[in-house]
Amino acid sequence: MIAIRNVKKSFGKLSVLQDVSLDIKEGEVVVILGPSGSGKTTLLRCISFLERASAGTIAFGDDVVDLKHASKKDILRTRRREGFVFQSYNLFANKTAFENVYEGLVSGRKVPKKEAKEKALEALDWVGLLDRKDYYPAQLSGGQQQRVGIARAVALEPEVILFDEPTSALDPELVGETLEVIKRVAKRGITMIVVTHEMSFAQDVADKIVFMDGGVVVEEGSPNDIFTHPKEERTKQFLKRIIGEFVYEI
Amino acid sequence: MREFHFEIMVEFYFKILPYLTITITYVFFSLLFGFLLGALTAYFRLSKNPVLKAISGAYITVMRCVPSIVFLFLVYYGLPGLMRTHFGIDMNDVDAIVYVIITFSIMLGAYTSEIMRSAYLSVDHGQFEAAVLVGMDSLTAFRRIIFPQALHAAIPNVGNIIIFMLKEGALAYIIGLQDVLGRGYYLNSLKANAYSMETYLALTLIYWPLTLLLEKAFRELEKRHSIAFLIQKKSSGKEVKA
Ligand SMILES: Nc1ncnc2c1ncn2[C@@H]1O[C@H](COP(=O)(O)OP(=O)(O)OP(=O)(O)O)[C@@H](O)[C@H]1O
Ligand SMILES: [Mg+2]
Repeated sequence: MIAIRNVKKSFGKLSVLQDVSLDIKEGEVVVILGPSGSGKTTLLRCISFLERASAGTIAFGDDVVDLKHASKKDILRTRRREGFVFQSYNLFANKTAFENVYEGLVSGRKVPKKEAKEKALEALDWVGLLDRKDYYPAQLSGGQQQRVGIARAVALEPEVILFDEPTSALDPELVGETLEVIKRVAKRGITMIVVTHEMSFAQDVADKIVFMDGGVVVEEGSPNDIFTHPKEERTKQFLKRIIGEFVYEI
Repeated sequence: MREFHFEIMVEFYFKILPYLTITITYVFFSLLFGFLLGALTAYFRLSKNPVLKAISGAYITVMRCVPSIVFLFLVYYGLPGLMRTHFGIDMNDVDAIVYVIITFSIMLGAYTSEIMRSAYLSVDHGQFEAAVLVGMDSLTAFRRIIFPQALHAAIPNVGNIIIFMLKEGALAYIIGLQDVLGRGYYLNSLKANAYSMETYLALTLIYWPLTLLLEKAFRELEKRHSIAFLIQKKSSGKEVKA
């Protein structure tokens, strides 16, 4: 189990995360919803040390790491348990699709070269891009780039993959294929935390939905709980704004 | 107008040419030390430490505002006194080329730091984040992902700075260094400065091909380092195999 506890983060005077705690069971898919500026990205960045939290811990089993005071070693160890899929893909522009996946295995995880090669090819095949393995990111569509990004994360076999709005930067017609691939990641039983604005996708894949607003977790529950019987007024407001009448049709 | 003496120009050309080794020596060492100093300065400038940031920022601003010739004089006349009073070092026997190298290393340090800084910043920081999140330490992420792309971004400016140094270095004659310009100046003075046209044309014929060559070399380097070139290489490689 992964336990995120009492995460706080301020940028100067602006308090972005007030006191966020979250439990993720093995194999669970947790979807985080919330309005813009509610701190979703900041939460993912804090638990991967792209930002230093002001307080809080993350625990993988009984390995508890202090998000504020973590040493370089703690950070590296924690990151090697995680995979990250970015909104803007962040592929290495000077590497081919294959190299993007391979590089992570060899330079990031110290996997032996031969094994890394097999794993990288397998991961690319799995996202349906084996025929594009020698293409550079500049030659790939947004959807293809994101699938390479997903392959890069999956190949590392992390304990959890963090997705930050993986389809928001995509042209509408490319969203579907990318969501399909993410669904396959979920079906593989990989533990995932997904920040998204795609409501029907959230409903499909989530084991648990977490609704955040103003830097706190307002409400969490099963998709059914959240979408059809939201308890909190703020959750209701948000869902109404995003999906309107859809809430009541379910 | 006075008659142009082609044979004098040719004579001067061949008499000046060996002094190109002097020119190349100070260009090489000024660039070498300049880039080392520049890398350090860029590192300070990009660091989060406000003191280092301020120091490097001030250094860059000062250097940008001082003409090379003024700074060369400052070093030439100021450094020996400074070294004597503060460190007890006598610089009387030090060759003029040392002053030239010191001057331009310090100037290029500021210029190249800006080149390196902007090259570094031209690579989207997200790639660095992706690299550390696949488990690379920051040094590996820099070496494997950021540096090759920053290098590519810097190539045209590096070419320019080398050419700048080659030309600006000619000021060295002013403190008595016998580089190509210094030598030409001297040869002309032996003949009562009667052959200025011949002298400076001979010099042009030395500088011009060199600059042209550098320009071409760097343009080629830039091309060979571009993603477009890599793409082309990959796809033509595939055709061969197929
Ligand atoms: N580096 C930063 N410096 C200062 N403020 C920041 C920084 N990063 C985020 N913020 C602020 O923190 C707040 C939360 O931002 P965050 O990106 O976490 O929101 P989000 O929930 O991911 O929003 P969105 O749905 O738009 O992606 C915002 O008010 C934002 O302006
Ligand atoms: Mg966000």
